[in-house]
Amino acid sequence: MSKVILLLCIAVMVCVLFTSCGKKEKASSEGKMTIITSLFPLYDFARNIGGDKVDVSLLLPPGVEAHAFEPRPADIVRINRADMFIYTGKIMEPWVDEIVKSVTSSKLLIVDSSEGVRLISQLEEFPDEDEHAEHRHGGAEDPHIWLDFSNAQKMVNNICEAMIKKDPQNKDFYLKNAADYNDRLSELDSEYKTVLAGCKQHTVVYGGHFAFGYMAKRYGMKFISAYRGFTPDAEPTPRNLAELVDKIKQLGVGYIYYEELISPKVAETLSEETDAMLLPLSSAHNVSKADLAEGAGFISIMKKNLGNLRMGLDCQ
Amino acid sequence: MFELFQYHFIQKALIAGCFIAVLCSTLGVFLVLKRLSLIGDGLAHVTFGSVAVGLLLHSQPIYTAVPLVALSSLGILKLTERARLYGDTAIGIVSSLGIASGVILVSISGGYNVDLFSYLFGSILSISNTEVITSIVLSVIVMLMVLLFYNELASITFDEEMAKMSGIKTRRINEILVVLTALTVVLAMKVVGIMLVSALLILPASAALQTAKSFKATIITAGAIAVFSVISGIWISFAANLPSGGTIIIINFIIFMLMFGYSKNVLRAKPEEPH
Amino acid sequence: MSIITVDKVSVRYNSTEVVSDVSFNIAAGDYLGVVGPNGSGKTTLIRAMFGLVGLAKGTVTLFGKDLSEFREWHRIGYLPQKLSSFNLQFPATVKEIIGLGLLAKKKFPKRITADDDAAINKVLEMLELTNIKNSLIGELSGGQQQRVLLARAMAGEPEVLILDEPTSALDPEVREKFSEVLKELNKKTALTVVLVTHDIMNIGRYASKLLYLDRRLIFYGGFDDFCSSTEVTNYFGEFAQHVICHRHS
Repeated sequence: MSKVILLLCIAVMVCVLFTSCGKKEKASSEGKMTIITSLFPLYDFARNIGGDKVDVSLLLPPGVEAHAFEPRPADIVRINRADMFIYTGKIMEPWVDEIVKSVTSSKLLIVDSSEGVRLISQLEEFPDEDEHAEHRHGGAEDPHIWLDFSNAQKMVNNICEAMIKKDPQNKDFYLKNAADYNDRLSELDSEYKTVLAGCKQHTVVYGGHFAFGYMAKRYGMKFISAYRGFTPDAEPTPRNLAELVDKIKQLGVGYIYYEELISPKVAETLSEETDAMLLPLSSAHNVSKADLAEGAGFISIMKKNLGNLRMGLDCQ
Repeated sequence: MFELFQYHFIQKALIAGCFIAVLCSTLGVFLVLKRLSLIGDGLAHVTFGSVAVGLLLHSQPIYTAVPLVALSSLGILKLTERARLYGDTAIGIVSSLGIASGVILVSISGGYNVDLFSYLFGSILSISNTEVITSIVLSVIVMLMVLLFYNELASITFDEEMAKMSGIKTRRINEILVVLTALTVVLAMKVVGIMLVSALLILPASAALQTAKSFKATIITAGAIAVFSVISGIWISFAANLPSGGTIIIINFIIFMLMFGYSKNVLRAKPEEPH
Repeated sequence: MSIITVDKVSVRYNSTEVVSDVSFNIAAGDYLGVVGPNGSGKTTLIRAMFGLVGLAKGTVTLFGKDLSEFREWHRIGYLPQKLSSFNLQFPATVKEIIGLGLLAKKKFPKRITADDDAAINKVLEMLELTNIKNSLIGELSGGQQQRVLLARAMAGEPEVLILDEPTSALDPEVREKFSEVLKELNKKTALTVVLVTHDIMNIGRYASKLLYLDRRLIFYGGFDDFCSSTEVTNYFGEFAQHVICHRHS
């Protein structure tokens, strides 16, 4: 009996070995620059700027929560083999240092896409909160810079510059694509401004963690969340939830937003307590397998968000 | 002072929490005495692996989790019988296997539509109506089983050989105990999270054992401690603006220390009686 | 009338034969001492006789039925070799533990009810445990604990009582007392007693029959036969035999 089990284990191990070997990246097509990006927005920017001259892949597997991610040895090998690695910023991806240290490749260009972007701290995000604000939010800096589209444009430019550095021959190509993309971002920005100017409700109640600081600041919205801090780990206290419930009732908020990829339990609890309805609001750290297959892009996701915001906040 | 009770989410936390508290603390008495205390943690790791299987097969994670975790609990039992290992080692082996399988499966499948972890880890403050019912039904079923097999379980836990010699089917009863534990871990974990389930399996029983006066009293005391910790924990966490799960566990620990101190200084302080 | 028959039994442990080709009968009312040096397989033989360990060869018949078909476990009381100290810290009262001894007779769901109190009180009295019936077993002295375990074995009024080295950890006076109690039970109630011990010096005072085991059967029979047996002389040497027998002549 135990011999059978032993044989079975060996068979399983052999199968696993074969499938994982089979899953190795197809050799990158000759001539294309291989780029690995950490989060989804960067992935989308890079593939739009680089077009068919680049081979972009996402480090974060689809569906995995960004803040919980830790690079595996295979990831480090992949990065080493690539031409470029783009990340958001040191606070968003604290594990970048680990990777930088273990990189031996001389051809790899590591790009901090947040260069030139001003980070805002929690204190700035909650100017009219009471003294307890700092206590509650810890006074840290918000790393979710891409949700302010002017920042996104800066990031696009940084990436474009990096691509030109690596591949100066196609400079014009990259510049044109970047400009096009930034135009689309500007268009997105105006849409947001227009729509969100005329809303009956100004408060967005978010069942996820606090990622929308930059967006809130830019469009004059008020975001409240049950979570303290910027990562989804910290558990909301019952008092936080109760206060949120009270606020929702007080402000007459009709819709509660839930975060992508995470079980929407907190949002559901709030909804059940207040009879508010649920709507998704994606911060685009990462996308689901299904969305990736459908070809979702950063701008399309943000447009969807706008639609949901319009409905939930009762705008024009 | 009592305004917190008006919120539905608090009410649900109290109801589901209390049922799960009694359930876990009762099973916990047997598990602790059988040196299987960490089975809660161990099976949680297996649940991670089995949820990965479920998502791979595109089925509801709970449908794969329950049978796989139940099988793993039987595996732990088998290891203690055949491989001559104590419970803690057997748990460690199965637990490592569970989490490793999960990690590999996640990797092979190339990603999912949602984050695995968030589906595993419930929180006592975000319990749905369905989950309240699940907690009640689960508790009733398990407690009923424990009641029906109370004497057999007690006999096996005290002295398994003697139990066998009185014609008790020891293997069957042990299997029932670990499978009930597996069921509890999977279902209760989704409701209140693994941190709380694991703690409720170990702490109330350990505290009750400090000042036990009889076996029956031990089980009842463990249940009472667990329920008290849930109710007071939710209440204090609200008043002091702290996370509820952690508060409940700290209260459990405080009670344990109090009972330990009491037993050491008051109960055992008597001079030895002549034989 | 033989109530237990052991026929050509061998028991293996890790591919070593620890009990070899042992055959004997136990009749109702016997007080059988099972003796032998440490590691001679005494405990293994006992455990094999009652299904706690598998038989490599041979058969065991209990009350006329083969071991594999035997179900009337309430007819047999068992006091295992010293329980681990962890088990003895089990949070149960004397009364609760003795109650466990009644489970063999019961059908599902097994409950200890008020009707069982009479049986429990009887055995409490018999072994002078009444005044500590609500004490936790972990709080008792070694001697008291053994009496509690004996009470548990006796609670169901079994016809046979098996004891595996019940007194090895006890003081001499306590040991005496315990042995006296057993002798009383054997005489007064015709309880069949099978006592495993390495104390060959004293067993003769109580046992009516002796089984000497050193992996294989060296001797089985009455005590007087032991003293005149040539096998025993060959095994022990004359001097030792005389010393053992001389004590009791």
